[in-house]
Amino acid sequence: MTCEQLRDSYELYSLGLLEGEERHEVEAHLARNCAVCQKYFKDALAVNTLFLSQAQEVVPPSRLRRRVTSSVGREGAVWTWVAALAAACALIVALWLSLEKRTADGQLANARLTLQQTVAERDRLEQAFTFLNQPETRQVNFGQGQPAPPRGNIFLNPRIGVLLIASNLPALPAGKAYEMWVIPKGGTPRPAGLFQSGPQRTAMNILSGPVDSNVTVAVTVEPESGSPAPTSNVLFAAGF
Amino acid sequence: MLTRLIPVSVALALLQVGLRFKDDSDLARRLKTRDAGAMRELYDRYGRLVYSLILRMVRNSAAAEDLVQETFLRVWNRIQGFDAERGALGPWVLTVARNRAIDYMRSADGKMSAGALELDRLEHPGRFCDFEDRALSLDRARRLKDAFEKLTPHQKTVLELAYYEGLSQTEMAERMQQPLGTIKSWVRSALKVLREQLTEAAAV
Repeated sequence: MTCEQLRDSYELYSLGLLEGEERHEVEAHLARNCAVCQKYFKDALAVNTLFLSQAQEVVPPSRLRRRVTSSVGREGAVWTWVAALAAACALIVALWLSLEKRTADGQLANARLTLQQTVAERDRLEQAFTFLNQPETRQVNFGQGQPAPPRGNIFLNPRIGVLLIASNLPALPAGKAYEMWVIPKGGTPRPAGLFQSGPQRTAMNILSGPVDSNVTVAVTVEPESGSPAPTSNVLFAAGF
Repeated sequence: MLTRLIPVSVALALLQVGLRFKDDSDLARRLKTRDAGAMRELYDRYGRLVYSLILRMVRNSAAAEDLVQETFLRVWNRIQGFDAERGALGPWVLTVARNRAIDYMRSADGKMSAGALELDRLEHPGRFCDFEDRALSLDRARRLKDAFEKLTPHQKTVLELAYYEGLSQTEMAERMQQPLGTIKSWVRSALKVLREQLTEAAAV
């Protein structure tokens, strides 16, 4: 078919409605970049546009504008969401790491404290062993044969000090502690250390340093901060 | 004087296509840069026209709103293939809008797969360029409307079936229970009348 014979086909073709052989003819002409057919095609597009623009005008709802413009803004919104999500994830990770670090720090602090306590206990036991192992150490027990009072042993070594090992200690009132005193013959009591009893109502207290060999060792209940002189009755005492 | 020839609403709609055509190159350039403000402007120029066309075709306001959104999204997503210097946004946007409505109607009839690819090919943005300066003028729009009013009822019907319902001539023949030859005759004679009116406008 000639270009002119196809003149009436371009509107339907550009609407996608041309069928069969006619459609193939039009496509063949357009594929040749024939200037005439290209013009007919553009003219047909213009006719179609003018025709379609004559649909009776209806005002769209105002929400449609928002809907359309927000939907094309989705591209940015997606990235905003991604950024927000990433920030949220980062925050969660940071919080988690922070909590983890705090937990680890806490565990580390507890471990250090336990280690310090263990080391201190070991040192005290070593000290106690030293007391027991020294030939000049003397021992005096107290509370033996009595059902309720505290009982135990006091070890004195004039060169290295006094070791107290007690059991069956009475429960302490709140804010109170046991205080050991070293009382020279004819002298005033000298503070020799504060201590608490353990869960088994036992305790060990050590006074390090040279001590007179003829002293009395006594224990009273005092305020936790200690007292310069005994303020309560003697709980137990042992003389050397 | 214009308002005595065509309704004000139609005149405004035509203004959207005719008078703003020359400004579209700048708008197209901004759309290509993913300027969301340009998208709002595109909707302000063509939103009412697109909605009116789609509603005329699908006759369902909820579906029309969906299809309008789909139309502008498609334009937004395919704008990179549009020639901002030589292209005409109006014809392209209207073609995309019509195709969305046709697609919707065909899918409702279970015929979506039959023409979806063809419609997709025909609305390629590269096709909508190099229009003559006056091709989409208001005067030509008015002349086309006048020419349409002069058509016979059968001629009007076949054009409306083609443009607004997307029926091929074979489908029109079935719908109108007329021989295919008769349908073709009505279509071609109707288009010839329209074209001649527009050609006269161009010659004035």
